[in-house]
Amino acid sequence: MFKYALKRILTFIPMLIAISLLSFVISINAPGDPVERLSKAAGSEGSAEQQSGASKKIKQELRKKLGLDLPIFYFSITDLAASDTLYKVQDKYHKANLEVLTHQSGNWEAVSEYYLNLLDLQKAHQIIDAKEIVLNDTSLSLNTVNEAANQFGFEIGSLLETSDETLVPLKFEKMNGLLKNHIFLSNLRTPLSNVTQSREILFTNATRWKTYIPTISWYGGKNQYHLWLLGNGKDRKGLLRGDFGISYIDSQPIESKIWQKVGISFSLSIISIFLAYLISIPIGIYSAYKKDSAADKGMSLVLFVLYSMPSFFVATLLLLQFANPDNLSWFPVSGIQDPTIFDPNWSLWMKLKHRMPFLILPIITYTYGSFAFLSRIMRVGMIDVVSQDYIRTARAKGLGEGKVILKHALRNSLLPVITVFAAIFPMAIGGSIIIEVIFSIPGMGVEVLNSILNYDYPMIITVFTLSGFLTMIGYLVADLLYAVVDPRISYK
Amino acid sequence: MQNTNENFSFKKYAWAQFKKNKIALVSLYLLLVLVIIALFAPYIANDRPLYAEYEGNTLYPAFASDTRTDSIYNAEGDFIQVLQYDITDWRQLDLTSVIWTPIPYSPGSMDRYNRDYAAPSGEQRFKNSDGKIIDIPSKFRHKLGTDGIGRDLASGLIHGTRISLMVGLVSMGIASLIGIILGALAGFFGDTKLKMPRIKYWLTLFGVFMGLFYGFGQRKYILSQAFSEGIADGMIAMLVSVGVAIGITMLFRMISKAIQLEWLNKEVSVPMDTFVSRGIELLNSIPRLLLIITITAVVERSIWIVMIIIGITGWTGIARFTRAEFLRIRSLEFVQAAGSLGYSSIRTIFKHALPNALAPVFVSIAFGIASAILIESGLSFLGIGVPDDIVTWGSLLNLGRQNLEAWWLIIYPGMAIFITITIYNMIAEASRDALDPRLKS
Repeated sequence: MFKYALKRILTFIPMLIAISLLSFVISINAPGDPVERLSKAAGSEGSAEQQSGASKKIKQELRKKLGLDLPIFYFSITDLAASDTLYKVQDKYHKANLEVLTHQSGNWEAVSEYYLNLLDLQKAHQIIDAKEIVLNDTSLSLNTVNEAANQFGFEIGSLLETSDETLVPLKFEKMNGLLKNHIFLSNLRTPLSNVTQSREILFTNATRWKTYIPTISWYGGKNQYHLWLLGNGKDRKGLLRGDFGISYIDSQPIESKIWQKVGISFSLSIISIFLAYLISIPIGIYSAYKKDSAADKGMSLVLFVLYSMPSFFVATLLLLQFANPDNLSWFPVSGIQDPTIFDPNWSLWMKLKHRMPFLILPIITYTYGSFAFLSRIMRVGMIDVVSQDYIRTARAKGLGEGKVILKHALRNSLLPVITVFAAIFPMAIGGSIIIEVIFSIPGMGVEVLNSILNYDYPMIITVFTLSGFLTMIGYLVADLLYAVVDPRISYK
Repeated sequence: MQNTNENFSFKKYAWAQFKKNKIALVSLYLLLVLVIIALFAPYIANDRPLYAEYEGNTLYPAFASDTRTDSIYNAEGDFIQVLQYDITDWRQLDLTSVIWTPIPYSPGSMDRYNRDYAAPSGEQRFKNSDGKIIDIPSKFRHKLGTDGIGRDLASGLIHGTRISLMVGLVSMGIASLIGIILGALAGFFGDTKLKMPRIKYWLTLFGVFMGLFYGFGQRKYILSQAFSEGIADGMIAMLVSVGVAIGITMLFRMISKAIQLEWLNKEVSVPMDTFVSRGIELLNSIPRLLLIITITAVVERSIWIVMIIIGITGWTGIARFTRAEFLRIRSLEFVQAAGSLGYSSIRTIFKHALPNALAPVFVSIAFGIASAILIESGLSFLGIGVPDDIVTWGSLLNLGRQNLEAWWLIIYPGMAIFITITIYNMIAEASRDALDPRLKS
C-alpha cells in the first residue's frame, strides 16, 4: 500500500510540472504587452508628453517587477545568429522586430547597431521643439512644423516595429523626402544617414548561414518561468506559494479576486453533486436490480435522452418557462440576491431564505448536468457487481434480496462513482461557466468568462493551472481511496 | 445462431445486430437527412432564387458565385441595369417567372421589415415590387421567425447544420488521426517490443530535434506570415514544415544505418507505451473545456481554429481504445504470421492489425463527435471562439437567451443541437452493442 502510494505520488510530480509548463507556454504566447495593459489599468495613461516622462519610469519598474527583463526559461534553443541578450530589449514589439531582422540577416552585431542608431534618431527627433523653430523662423506656421515632425516620428516608430522588406524602403524614402522639404529637420540628417548606413551593412555583412546552426544557451535560475512558479524569495512568492500575480483589469491581486468568488461556485457545486448522488444512486440501483424490465428500459432511454440534452439548453428552457412573465414568473431571472432589499446584516437563515428562489433554477441545472451521467455509471457498475460470485454466494446462503443489494452489492458498485467526486474541486475553481453566465451568478465561471473577454491573461492562466493541479490531486486522492477500499489494487 | 457457416462475416453480423435496434436505425436515417441538408444548404435556404426569368434573360442566381456581376439587356438589346448578384434584392425585381429556394433567405441577410424578433405566426411585413409595404405573402413568411436584426431563423438553422456537422467531422478527423496512430504504436510495441540499435535510437531523437528546428524553428516567421494571410496559406506552409521535419528525421535514420560499430549497434527498446500513456494522463487531467477556452482566448477567433483545438484536445479516448485493441491483437496469430513473413512493423500495424482494431474505435469516435458538437455549441453560446458573423446553433440559442420573449430562438436551435447530439449518441451506443458481443446480455 505504502509502496503504491509512493509510486503514485512520484508520477504525480512530473505531471504537475507539465501542467505548469503548458500554462506558462500559453501565457507567454498571449497577445499584447502586459506592461501596457497594467499601466493602463493603473490609470497612468496621459498625453504623449506625460507618457514619455513619468509613466516610462513606472513602466520600467513594472517590467522589472513582472520579471519581463529576464530570459523566458532556464535555457533556450535558437540558432547561432540569434542574440542571447535580446530579452533585455524592453518593448515587446521591438523585440519581435529585432528577432525577425536577426533571422533575415544572421548578423546580430549589425542588427543591434541598426537598432541603436534608430533609437538615436528617435532621441534626436524627440528633442525637436516646434515652438522654438517657429520663434526662430517666423515664416513657418506651427501646424506645418508639427505635422512634418509627427510624420517623421511616425515613420521612426514603425521602422522600430516592422521589418517587412517592401515597406522599409518606402519609409526611408518618406523620411528623406521630409528632410528635403523641411530645413528645420536638418538636425536629423546625420542620425538618419547613420541608420541608412547600418541598414545597408545589415545586408552586405549578412551571415545567413549562422541561422542554420542550432545552439542552446543556458540562463540558469533567473528566468521568468522560475519567477512565476517559485518566486525570487523577495517580493514575488511564486505560484506554488499562492502568489498568482495581478489582474490586468483592475490591478487587484488575483488571489483575493478568486477568494471573493470561489465560495458561491463551490457551494453550488457541492449542493448539486450531493443532490445528484441522492437521486441517481437509487435510480441506478433500481434499474440494475430490475434489469431488462420495462421500467429499466424506459428509464434507460429517458436517461440517455436527458444525457444528450445540453445543460445550457435546459437552463434556457427553465428560464423560458419559470422566470418569464409570459409563462410562469415563479423565480427571478438572474443574480443571487435582490440588491434593493438585501441586507448584509441579516442572519444566515434570512440570507438563505432570501437567496433560495434565486438558487433553485441554477441548482436544478447543475444537478441535471451530472445526474443523468451518474445514474448511467451507477447502473453499469451495479450490473457488473450483481453478476459477481460473492453476490451469488450471498443469495445462496439465504440472505434477503434487500440485504444482498444494499449491503453487499452497493458498497462495491460505489467505487466508480468515487472517481466522479474527484472532479468537484476543479469545477469549483473553474465554475460552471455556462450555467453561471445564464443565471448571472457572480461566481468563478462568470469571472473566468470576463477575464477571457477582457484578455486578462494572469487570471485565465491561474484558473487553468489551479484547476489542472486540483484535478490531478482529485485523481490522486481517488486512486489512493481505491487502493484503501480494494486491497487487490496495491498488489498490481 | 446460424453464424457458424463458412460465409460468416463480422461486418454482416454487426450490421444485422445494429439493424435490430430500431431507434438507432432511425437515428442513422436522420443523420443522412442532416448530411443532405448540410450539403445542399445553399440551395435550400438562399436569398437568390434557383431560377429566374428577368427581362427575357434566364438566370440561375443561387448557383452563381457571390462575386458575379451581370449587365442585363432586354429583348430589344437595351441596357436595363447591372446586377451584382450578392447585393441585389431579388424579391424587388420584376421577375416574369421564378423558382425560389424552399427558404428564400440567406442566414446573414437582414430583413429590415421584420426586425425586432418577428414571431413565426405573428404579423410580418413585406415590401413588394411596387415598393408598397404589405402583409407578407406566405412564400416569404419567416416560418420560424426572425432575430433582433431581422435574420431568418430557419435559414440560420439550415446553414448551422453545415457548421455543426463540419465541427464533428474536422475535429474528430484530427483527433482520430492522432489517437489512432499514437494508440496503435503504444499498443503494438508496448514498452519492450520496439527495438532498434542504440545509434539509430539516438540519431532518430536527434533527427526529430533537428527536424523540428529546421521545419518549425527556422520557418516560424514564414509560418506566421502565411497564417496571417489566411488559414489556407497557413495550412500549406504548415504542411511544408511537417514535410521538412519528417524528411530530416528520415535523413538521420538513414545516416544511422551507415554507422557500424559494435557498441553503438546494441539493441535498446523504446518505451513507446510509457510516452503515450503519460501524454493521455496529462491531457485527461486538464479540464477540457477550460483548456479549450484558454487557448481560444490567446488565438484569433475562427471556426477552423475552434475545430482544430477541439480535435487536438479530444484524442485521448480514441488512443486509449486503439491501444487496448492493439494489446489484444498483437498476440493473435495473423499478426504473428505477418511478423514472421518479414513484413515491416509499419505495414503490419496499418495494413493488417488496424482494420481489425477499428470497430471499438469507431464507437469512441461517434461519441467524440457528439461531444465536439456540444463543446462548439457551448462556445458559440458563450460567444467565445467563433466569430460573431458566423451563424451557428449555439449563437442563435444565445440570442434567444437574451430575449426570453423570442421563444422560437430558444426552442428551435436548442432542439437542433439536442437532436443532433442524440443521433450521434444513439448510433454510438447501438454500434457498441452491435460490435462488441461481449457487452450483449
